[in-house]
Amino acid sequence: MATAPDPRIDTVREQLRALGYLDARVDRFVLGDAAARGRGLALAAAASARIGLLAGVLLGPAAVVGVAARVDGFVTSVTDALVLALYLAVLFGLATAVLACGAILIAGALARRWSADAAFPRHARRAAIAAGLLVAAACLGYLTLWWRAAVPPGAWATQGLALAVATAISVLLGHVVTISVLAYLVAATRTQANVAFAESLPQGSPLSSWRVVVPMGVVALTGALVLLAVITPSTPPPAAPPPLAVVPTGARVVVLAIDGVDVATLDRLRTTPSLPTFQRLLAQARAPLTSDADRDPAQVWTTIATGQPPDRHGVRALESRQLAGVEGRMRSASPGVAPGLAMLTTATDLLRLTRPTIASGEERRLPAFWEVGASAGIRTAVVHWWATWPASDTQGVVLSDRAILRLEQDGTLAGEIAPAAVYDQLRQTADARHARVAALADIATSALPAGVAAIVTRSATLDATILELATDPALGPLDLLTVYLPGLDIAQHALFPLDATTPLAPAAAAERLQALEVYYRFLDTALSRTVLRDDDAQRMVLLVAQPGRLQQDAPGLLAISGANAATIEADRGAPVSIAPTVLMALGIPVAADLAGTPAAALFTERFRAAHPARTVPTYGERRVSPRTTAGQPLDREMIERMRSLGYVR
Amino acid sequence: MPSLPEFFAGYQESITRALDALVPAPPPRVGATGALGIGDAGAACTGDAGASPVNDAMRYTLLAPSKRVRAVLVLLSAELCGSATRAMPAACAVEAIHAASLILDDLPSMDDAPLRRGRPAVHIAYGEAVAILAAFALLNGAYGHLARAYDAPLAARLTALFADAVGLDGLVAGQAEDVLATDTALTFDTLERIHRRKTGVLFSAAATAGALTAGGTADDIAALTAYARNLGLAFQVVDDLLDVTGTPEKTGKAVRHDARKTTFVSFSGVEGARELADELCRTATRALEPFGHRAARLGALAAFVAARRL
Repeated sequence: MATAPDPRIDTVREQLRALGYLDARVDRFVLGDAAARGRGLALAAAASARIGLLAGVLLGPAAVVGVAARVDGFVTSVTDALVLALYLAVLFGLATAVLACGAILIAGALARRWSADAAFPRHARRAAIAAGLLVAAACLGYLTLWWRAAVPPGAWATQGLALAVATAISVLLGHVVTISVLAYLVAATRTQANVAFAESLPQGSPLSSWRVVVPMGVVALTGALVLLAVITPSTPPPAAPPPLAVVPTGARVVVLAIDGVDVATLDRLRTTPSLPTFQRLLAQARAPLTSDADRDPAQVWTTIATGQPPDRHGVRALESRQLAGVEGRMRSASPGVAPGLAMLTTATDLLRLTRPTIASGEERRLPAFWEVGASAGIRTAVVHWWATWPASDTQGVVLSDRAILRLEQDGTLAGEIAPAAVYDQLRQTADARHARVAALADIATSALPAGVAAIVTRSATLDATILELATDPALGPLDLLTVYLPGLDIAQHALFPLDATTPLAPAAAAERLQALEVYYRFLDTALSRTVLRDDDAQRMVLLVAQPGRLQQDAPGLLAISGANAATIEADRGAPVSIAPTVLMALGIPVAADLAGTPAAALFTERFRAAHPARTVPTYGERRVSPRTTAGQPLDREMIERMRSLGYVR
Repeated sequence: MPSLPEFFAGYQESITRALDALVPAPPPRVGATGALGIGDAGAACTGDAGASPVNDAMRYTLLAPSKRVRAVLVLLSAELCGSATRAMPAACAVEAIHAASLILDDLPSMDDAPLRRGRPAVHIAYGEAVAILAAFALLNGAYGHLARAYDAPLAARLTALFADAVGLDGLVAGQAEDVLATDTALTFDTLERIHRRKTGVLFSAAATAGALTAGGTADDIAALTAYARNLGLAFQVVDDLLDVTGTPEKTGKAVRHDARKTTFVSFSGVEGARELADELCRTATRALEPFGHRAARLGALAAFVAARRL
């Protein structure tokens, strides 16, 4: 009969290990067949590679936890987590291997200065300990800072646990660097002193003893906690968003967002009889909008939609990156902010480690105004706005920036349109819609010479499709309709490319300018035949215009017309004011933490008196529903479409 | 019962022959001197040129049936590092030092052990005074043998190595602490230190000496020292086990003699101690992985130590 193992044996085993007997498996793993690796550099490289492997295995999965906690939507499945863990393991492994190799070689070089000295063993052990401590301190410092950046403040128990893990990993890495330095010195020197040193080695490496490691770990953990406390801002955790009480204003709000508008041209043309719709839209309240130097459309229009600057809403560029094998997206840095990053992503694209993808709602941390409205019970629909894919059923009707692609491609939804019933209805009316779209687009192109018409056709067809979709009965009765029209910007970009190497001949330039003016007329007519078709006394239209992807400074425009709009021309407005203005128009309380305030002056006095702006502390973070659709995301098609429209190269 | 590895017998035989030559039987005539150079001295002590009790006591201890583990370790280490052809003097020196330590260890003022290697201890057979003298003669004879057998640098290195193993961080220190700690509960660290000095240090010195005689590198020495260190402790753990589980007939010495002492069995129990001995021997063997199959014999030695019952 087998006897139960003596419970004391584990204690004795650990004591023996601390005294230099038995051997820690990790030591064996790191040094492995070190003697067979030859001398000096080869041994240091082999040991560093194994240290890197150890660090990768330990840090990669741990880092995924931090990334998943911090970057909403980046880790969308277990597969994502595993693939990301692999990437992070490689990154951390490489970094640690390089650090360890440097530490081994430097400490080894310093100690070898005494290799002919009888005191060599003492110097060697000191150098090894110093190298181990430095690596442990560097690892722990970095991990603490990394963890601070990856995980929001608060939850001190979690923070403490995470730092305890980081401390243990750092101490372990320090230990293996120490024994690697010792092994390197044994292999790299051939002196009498070295023989004595080699004899002394098995008495245990300096950082093997738990009597050293435990106090060192306690000190390191305390230091890391202090560091974390010092660098953590003392901001209170965000308050939970309160329920939104709507005081109905009776207004049915239409937000028309038109990209690529040259306000001076629009003002010049609207005085002619050819733009009656714009004349009506601009006749009441208006304010110029300051425009950001960074004209990335995804960033600009998400700022408008959320009322928050990019560093808060999270969408910095229309082009983001997907790691190979990971469905989630990496949030992009603004192109002007990190030029080195562009080079890096180009390199990783070439290596097929990453691929470009278009900014999505998974990168957006804050709710857009239509989502706030939907959460308050308002009937909302949004059509073709940037970073609206993937759509979920909790956000009202969403025809995302991939909806047209999905309707073209058909197939199973993958978050392009929500609710799914809307998709089914839109498919049934596709043929009739295509006919109407063709007729509308013909307005823009029939009056133009063939060459220019070909350039404008795609823009006109796109805008016409968007407007037709926005008018489709499938969307149902709405309190808030939000439509984004990119056609003018795309046409402008195609007619006057920013990177044109040869200047246009005056006649060709005039012809293209004329084409743009025709496009304004097309838009005017298209709006009047679609979303502004019916006379509705309760309709309030907010026209939001942005100058598009121009390189020179140009203002945008906010104009309010229809019910409750004042007759006023304000001095200035800001893109972050648009979201609160829309919400105020709907009688929804405005969050105090928005970056802008409602442009109340653009409403009539009577409206302001009846519906003064009410506030709530915050709308909170955007609630992202996990993707449940079974369809294949149109990532490749989307990037190709964006490329063909001139958004990405 | 596990038997000694087959190759072991050959080594034991050659070591015994070398030891026999080292401390030859007293010659019938005055003037004959063994390699340790004590033939005449013994005769002078007794006034009988043919019968020296010190010489007899030396041979009594040195040539008693023994496993010769330390001496074999010297030879195998040398063989592993190239060649054992120059290692025999070092092997004999180790065995002589070990024999001296056993004589001193068994004295009434020390462990007061009546039996050693299946026979009465030296101080029982020859008296305490002769035993002490024999121990000193063996020690000094070992150093002298090294000095005569090797060229000056290697001789100096080996002499220093063994002197350190015997000295204040070796056998002497271990024995002193052991004697003073009798009837005292020891901490684990203290017990390990005593055993390291009494057993482990000489094992390590034996391995290093073998490597040095064969021109081993620092890498070789580091690996062999790690091997010997773990093997030495395993040897001692098994000794502690045998004191609890063995019989005088099988072990050749008095058992339950360490009842008043703290041993590894005190800390981990019989089964635990056996498990630890196994682990230590496996660790010892792993330390030689860089040598590949060439270290097979040392591996077999470790396996024998782990399983020995005598």
